[in-house]
Amino acid sequence: MAKGRGFGRGGSKGVVMLEAEEGGASERGDGNCCIAWDCEGAHLISSNSHSTLFFHSWPASSSPGPLRRLAHHRSAITGLAFSPSGSSLASCSLDHSVKLFSYPGGEFQSNVTRFTLPIRSVAFSITGSMLAAAGEDDGIKLISTIDSSIVRVFKGHNAPVVSLSFDPNNEYLASAGSDGTIMCWSLSSGKRVHTLYHAAPNTDLNSSCRNEVAWHPKGDVLAVPGRKNGVDVVMYDRDTGEKVFSLKGGHSATVGFLAWSFNGKYIATSAGDNQVILWDVDNRQDIDSQKFESQICSLAWKPNGNALAVMDADGKFGVWEPIVPAHMALPNDTSTQPSAIDREELLRFSDDDDLAVSEDEDKTLTSDRERSASPDIFSRSRKQKDTEEFGSLKKSSVSKKSDSQPQNKQMASSVASLPTMQKAFQPGSTQPDGGIRHFLNYNLVGSVTSCQNEGLSHVEVEFHDTGRGFRVPAMTDYFGFTMAAMNETGSVFASPRKGEKSPSTVLYRPFSSWASNSEWSMRLPAEEEARAVAVGLGWVAATTSLNHLRVYSEAGLQMAVLSLQGPVVTMTGHQEVLAVATHAAVPFPCGQQVIHCMVLNLAAHTKVIEGWLPLSPGSQLTWLGFSEAGLLSFYDSKGLLRVHTSQYGGSWLPVFSASKEAKNEDESLWMVGLTDTQVMCVACKFPDKQPQVSPKPVLSIFNLSLPLVHSDLGAEDLENEFLLKSWQLAQITDEAVRVNDEDEHEEEILKLEATLDRCILRLIAAACKGDKLMKAVELTKKLSLDKSWKGAIKLVSAMKLPALAERLSTMYEEKITHEASQEQELVVQSALTGQVRNTAIDASLNTEGFRPSATMKHGPAPDVQRIKSSLSNGHVLSHKQKVPSIGERCEEASKSSLSNDHVLPQKQRVPSTEKRGEGPTKSSTTGTFAEDNGTHLEDKATLNVAQEEEPFQRSSNPFAKSASNPFAKPPVATDSHTGGVSLLESLKRMRDTELDLKGKVARSNKAVRHS
Amino acid sequence: MAGQSNPQLSIFTAAEVEFLAEDEQIDIVPNVRMDTLHMICGDYGPFRPQIPVRVPLWLAIALKKRSKCRIQPPDWMSVEKLTQVLEDEREAPREFQPLPFHYVEISRLLFDHARDDITDPYLVRSLLEDIRDVRFHKVESGLETLSGKTHAVKLKNLAAMEVNIVRPFIVRALQCFYKHDNEDLIKQAANELDSQPVASDRVPRRTLRPR
Repeated sequence: MAKGRGFGRGGSKGVVMLEAEEGGASERGDGNCCIAWDCEGAHLISSNSHSTLFFHSWPASSSPGPLRRLAHHRSAITGLAFSPSGSSLASCSLDHSVKLFSYPGGEFQSNVTRFTLPIRSVAFSITGSMLAAAGEDDGIKLISTIDSSIVRVFKGHNAPVVSLSFDPNNEYLASAGSDGTIMCWSLSSGKRVHTLYHAAPNTDLNSSCRNEVAWHPKGDVLAVPGRKNGVDVVMYDRDTGEKVFSLKGGHSATVGFLAWSFNGKYIATSAGDNQVILWDVDNRQDIDSQKFESQICSLAWKPNGNALAVMDADGKFGVWEPIVPAHMALPNDTSTQPSAIDREELLRFSDDDDLAVSEDEDKTLTSDRERSASPDIFSRSRKQKDTEEFGSLKKSSVSKKSDSQPQNKQMASSVASLPTMQKAFQPGSTQPDGGIRHFLNYNLVGSVTSCQNEGLSHVEVEFHDTGRGFRVPAMTDYFGFTMAAMNETGSVFASPRKGEKSPSTVLYRPFSSWASNSEWSMRLPAEEEARAVAVGLGWVAATTSLNHLRVYSEAGLQMAVLSLQGPVVTMTGHQEVLAVATHAAVPFPCGQQVIHCMVLNLAAHTKVIEGWLPLSPGSQLTWLGFSEAGLLSFYDSKGLLRVHTSQYGGSWLPVFSASKEAKNEDESLWMVGLTDTQVMCVACKFPDKQPQVSPKPVLSIFNLSLPLVHSDLGAEDLENEFLLKSWQLAQITDEAVRVNDEDEHEEEILKLEATLDRCILRLIAAACKGDKLMKAVELTKKLSLDKSWKGAIKLVSAMKLPALAERLSTMYEEKITHEASQEQELVVQSALTGQVRNTAIDASLNTEGFRPSATMKHGPAPDVQRIKSSLSNGHVLSHKQKVPSIGERCEEASKSSLSNDHVLPQKQRVPSTEKRGEGPTKSSTTGTFAEDNGTHLEDKATLNVAQEEEPFQRSSNPFAKSASNPFAKPPVATDSHTGGVSLLESLKRMRDTELDLKGKVARSNKAVRHS
Repeated sequence: MAGQSNPQLSIFTAAEVEFLAEDEQIDIVPNVRMDTLHMICGDYGPFRPQIPVRVPLWLAIALKKRSKCRIQPPDWMSVEKLTQVLEDEREAPREFQPLPFHYVEISRLLFDHARDDITDPYLVRSLLEDIRDVRFHKVESGLETLSGKTHAVKLKNLAAMEVNIVRPFIVRALQCFYKHDNEDLIKQAANELDSQPVASDRVPRRTLRPR
């Protein structure tokens, strides 16, 4: 590092120090001395520890002493700032005021602002329209120079602010506190963008050392004095707040002041060792140094020359000229190096970081607008070595792919970085981004907030529903929790491992418990570290770095330890089910993660779902959760929400797209949860990707919408509604079948059917309007309620489409008759059950060698169940065949119920005779059965066989229209073809007979039992 | 101004106008779970914690008083919008900027009952007061243009409270102009001059119970 130091080393021979004021008292100052060049570089403005400003010409004129003195301040001047135009000069002082002077006139213009405590720093914005001033007061004031009004006050520093620097792109203001904390503020929003806690050394306000910060003239890095021994200056990235590189090995004391040359190639630093060092930033080398008698407490580059003005703590000033050796580029020469290369060079020759700069980055860095327009290209990867120090500064993993594999430096510029596996995260958590608070978990029940206050942190749990009766007290966080999950019953926290002494810990807090001390914690083995946690109804789960899934009961019993397929990505719980997402393989080249997901039922010890998560191309998983109804769903970084459906053997529906729904482009949606019909997100304005804790996030509600194609119907909303509703209907019917409790769901199903039908009817209207009659017919077939069928027919006739209306009414009649026959079958079956029950015992002897249906053995009840199911399983068209005989059969059935022994076989023959016309082979089989066994059981058997075979037979022509099949054409239907009244009447009659029949069946059952 | 000093002369009192304004809809974020409320004016809810729902202002205030919700101030009550309106209001001396009809009352009610839900309450309040002052001044200066030839005054985008204040004055001024323009009417009016057209048929006013 010691190479390149040239002349002038070890003495102040190169710089002649002058007294600011001839004969002025040169007592040891307290470092409140400032110096600045005017815009032309012809004059120097300086202030010493007294309250006076001096204007000097440079090179020094023949007459000794300053050109002009301005003694407006009543105490020492602590800062000077020239407006960019050079027409005014601001000075701040320990006398609590900021004053503005005209230049070059030097007239006092105004007292810009006053503080209650001494002011330490002042800075002009790049446009000159704003002035920032700060000091020992609480808050940095941003003042408009036009009317001296206070635009903003940035509050957050816990120590006096000693330095301010405006970002050259006019977006940020960097401030440094005397405790070494650096903060970066957004000028437009007033929010804190980054906080670097204790990045710079601690300084004493009375010493002549000050934590000066300065933006690179292009604004991409911020130079901050280094805190660690031997590190002189650290450069932090503008956007991420991450450490980019550092300059080391020059000073023997901490750096207090620094100044960039105008082209950003050089930086001059002054430290407590009374040295000023000039650095070549591109090569990270110190070029030259100068030793002075006392510490230099102000540095200023000459705008138009190779010179640096310095002022020491004693109030002497001098100009180091020429400062940059002749063989190197001049400090104000910007033409030789285009910015992009400059920047890339800067990053490539990093000596302590492995960097990989993608091609995109240079593009994005050159123009601000480009960057805001395309946040996605703004991806870079880097491996931080000192993560323990700067890890907290990392922004959300959504916006960047952090942690790439370390790459060869030589390859860095040519090879695009490989996508990396995303880190484990908790759904509903936000990354700490410099603020005091961040969410560990935010869901529809409540929120868990981690709050960091002066080294001590605590965790707060809050319910959205404050009416729940109990308030959870805040908990002091001794473990340093980084993961949490909560539901209605309790919250679970986990901390990462911190060295040997404090292993990774999992802690569970129930919200209400009858027993005291029901909170428990588990210390994981030393080599294991918690990666994700989840909580559900009566269980707590944690996954660890060893790919173990550890399940605990609510009271802390260890229920299970399972091994996972890969490193965990995230997990979440809902009631008794747990969903775990794990990495299954390295990501695709486009960056799309390969994530495997499984859902376990922890109460039943079963695996419910297993499969891969279909992420959008190039995206990462950002949220995993359950809908209120308990459907697994996930959200990816491309803003697509997918829900798992049991249809199609367990598939995923893309039910929501953030890019389609967000109101404006710079808004991103942060997922919170979803119900059956709606999605709840928090809308975040760019550049934020995640909500802040305060003000409380407000949920935005969106309806689910499938990514449908613009069709010729011109009714996407309706089509979307139709698809979603039919999906929900299928979901509910599935559920009803699964729990075997149709009554509970019946009302819900009915309601859904009604809304679905309403939607279909509107679609039919749209189809008719567009003259898409085939579509209308197809849609009509999807109607489920009789009322809506009639409505459809009415609608079509009202739209003056008689042909369609006729077709629909024919279809309707078919449907009616078919349903009637289906019901008929059911009745027949129920009539049979009576017999079966009766005969089952004595028939058990006869059943040997005869097993037409295995269910027979289990007794009558399951048998009937099966018949029912076989009926409802959609042997739909088969029943059309039996239509002609309805009338007779009703009578027959009623007869049969009276004398069930003899008539039933006959009745049975009704369908079979008919079938004989079409399928003689089959009828023969039934015949054989009937002949073989003389008992009642065989009747049952034949019926079963008949029913099972029929759909087979019919399936050859499932869409056979009634008109094309004279056999199938119901005589009743032909009669009532034209008039709806007769049809209704016949229906009514049928219903009557049915009721009658049921009564009789019941009676007959009784009778049978008695006999 | 005529109506301002004597509330008996205006058609509505300020409290009555405020009462009318309470029917305006506003978004709230409840923090309790509650079923749909069936009111005469409509059904509101269901209320679920943290899910925004639109209710009338009176209901919002009632819930807020029981700290069952947060009120989301309407869009126009943001500093940016109000600054813009104030600027436009000052730039166009002849016309009024479109603001909600009950902006005075809504903002007043929100400041009274939901101050903690408003971001930058001081700034918003001072902006609103500035806007109101500018607009009232505009109304007053506009009244100077009333002359004998005026039979109607068109005031677009005027808010309820502003109308309420100037209504008695304008109506009566126009009536007077009309009468004095018409010689026939003057004769007739001689008999009827005493009768006050406005307050004649009004029963003694009941003061509204303050909330």
